[in-house]
Amino acid sequence: MTEQELADRAFKRDLLASLPNLRAFAVSLTGRHDKADDLVQDTIMKAWANQTSFTAGTNMRAWLFTILRNEFYSQMRKRGREVQDSDGLFSERFSVHPEQYGRLDLQDFRKALDKLPDDQREAIVLVGAAGFAYEEAAAICGCAVGTIKSRVSRARTRLQELLGVSGESDFGPDPGDAAITARAFGS
Amino acid sequence: MSEQDSRKKEKTMTTAQAKDFRPGATLPNAAISRKLRDFYDAVQEEGIPDRFLDLLERLEQAEKNAKSADVK
Repeated sequence: MTEQELADRAFKRDLLASLPNLRAFAVSLTGRHDKADDLVQDTIMKAWANQTSFTAGTNMRAWLFTILRNEFYSQMRKRGREVQDSDGLFSERFSVHPEQYGRLDLQDFRKALDKLPDDQREAIVLVGAAGFAYEEAAAICGCAVGTIKSRVSRARTRLQELLGVSGESDFGPDPGDAAITARAFGS
Repeated sequence: MSEQDSRKKEKTMTTAQAKDFRPGATLPNAAISRKLRDFYDAVQEEGIPDRFLDLLERLEQAEKNAKSADVK
């Protein structure tokens, strides 16, 4: 196998490995699974076409997230932002298994997330869920690290307001919540 | 490794895993962070839809075809 073939194979493998995370970011940005998957598809095509511009050994995930984000905003500028359907597809998708823990909670959370300004939403998702450091998130969004930090902080505050969280005990009636939180924090 | 060392290591690991829970973060903040991750993980756990696997297959095939056409 030639060096080029090995590089191609590595590229495809890393691309595949990043897809679930990339797709979750797309769902976070668009608020809808169908739109998110179209966005991911466009991102894959762009990434594939620009393989040579990717520097092997650098962070492919950050590279893909940057492509997807740029694609999202450029499409949004072209089409104008469509009315978000927070109660639509996403909820349907997640209400299929109502017996599972926390699904209803997740819908409420999703709706609250949708209400954030775009810049705050992407900041808190990149740092708080997608696993990027502040510096990486700043590079993806093309802004200063301090800007990301303040957006994350404002997003947190806004989510707390939207979800009416004033303390852990107020957050959800599910007694399982407390146990899970306790486990998560080893307290 | 002494017991104290391993306990110390465990603590360090916990801190690293929960890196977005900064010191001084209040519990509501932690609850928000957890909800965000629950939501995000739920999407990640859906895995990779077939349409993307098919797409990558097609892209790869198209590239191979283009290359063999070059050779000819």
